[in-house]
Amino acid sequence: MKKIALSLIVGAFPLLSLAQAPAAPAKGDAAAGQSKAVAVCSGCHGVPGIRTAYPEVYNVPRLGGQNADYLVSALRSYRAGNRYNQTMKGLASALTEKEILDVAAYYGQK
Amino acid sequence: MNIKNIVAIAAMLGLFVTLPANAASGDAEAGSKKAETCKACHGEGGGKPIQPDYPVLAGQHYDYLVAALNQYKAGKRKNASMNGFAAALKPEDIRDLAAYFSSQKSDLKTKY
Repeated sequence: MKKIALSLIVGAFPLLSLAQAPAAPAKGDAAAGQSKAVAVCSGCHGVPGIRTAYPEVYNVPRLGGQNADYLVSALRSYRAGNRYNQTMKGLASALTEKEILDVAAYYGQK
Repeated sequence: MNIKNIVAIAAMLGLFVTLPANAASGDAEAGSKKAETCKACHGEGGGKPIQPDYPVLAGQHYDYLVAALNQYKAGKRKNASMNGFAAALKPEDIRDLAAYFSSQKSDLKTKY
């Protein structure tokens, strides 16, 4: 009986950790993100009227005031190839996970 | 050559056709009516998403919103929910929705 109880307790742990594993909210460092953003993003996203290049031409999105968690998810998607833009795929792939969180925190500041 | 002639010639040459480079060509009012589904997640006017990882749409560029919806529709941008919603949209719907959301006030801005 003791054995059964023990295995039940042990068996319950993976379930517990599963239950506690919702996506952690993005916690980036906005100050660190600013210097990264100025170096990498601002050449396009910081200049009003800048557009993408051929084949699809449109204004690059406004990022200031956007939800930080959304920006994290967008950058990860570009990196993973789940979003269509070669420039963004290249730039996002060059960012570390921490840099993604930092840059998102910078643009997400309200 | 008097003014009348100049105007007539210019008209013939089509010089009065203005090409608004970035003007929304959709109908924002029609877009508002079509946006009920969008508002459920992106909030009223697209300015108050119900989840932190959903984007603010209000005040975003018209042509960026059109491009994003076209990419979702074509499956070039992958998101289970958005691929489904965008698949049902006609080109006119996409222009109307983009016209609506881009015309809404928000804190979105170009930030250096």
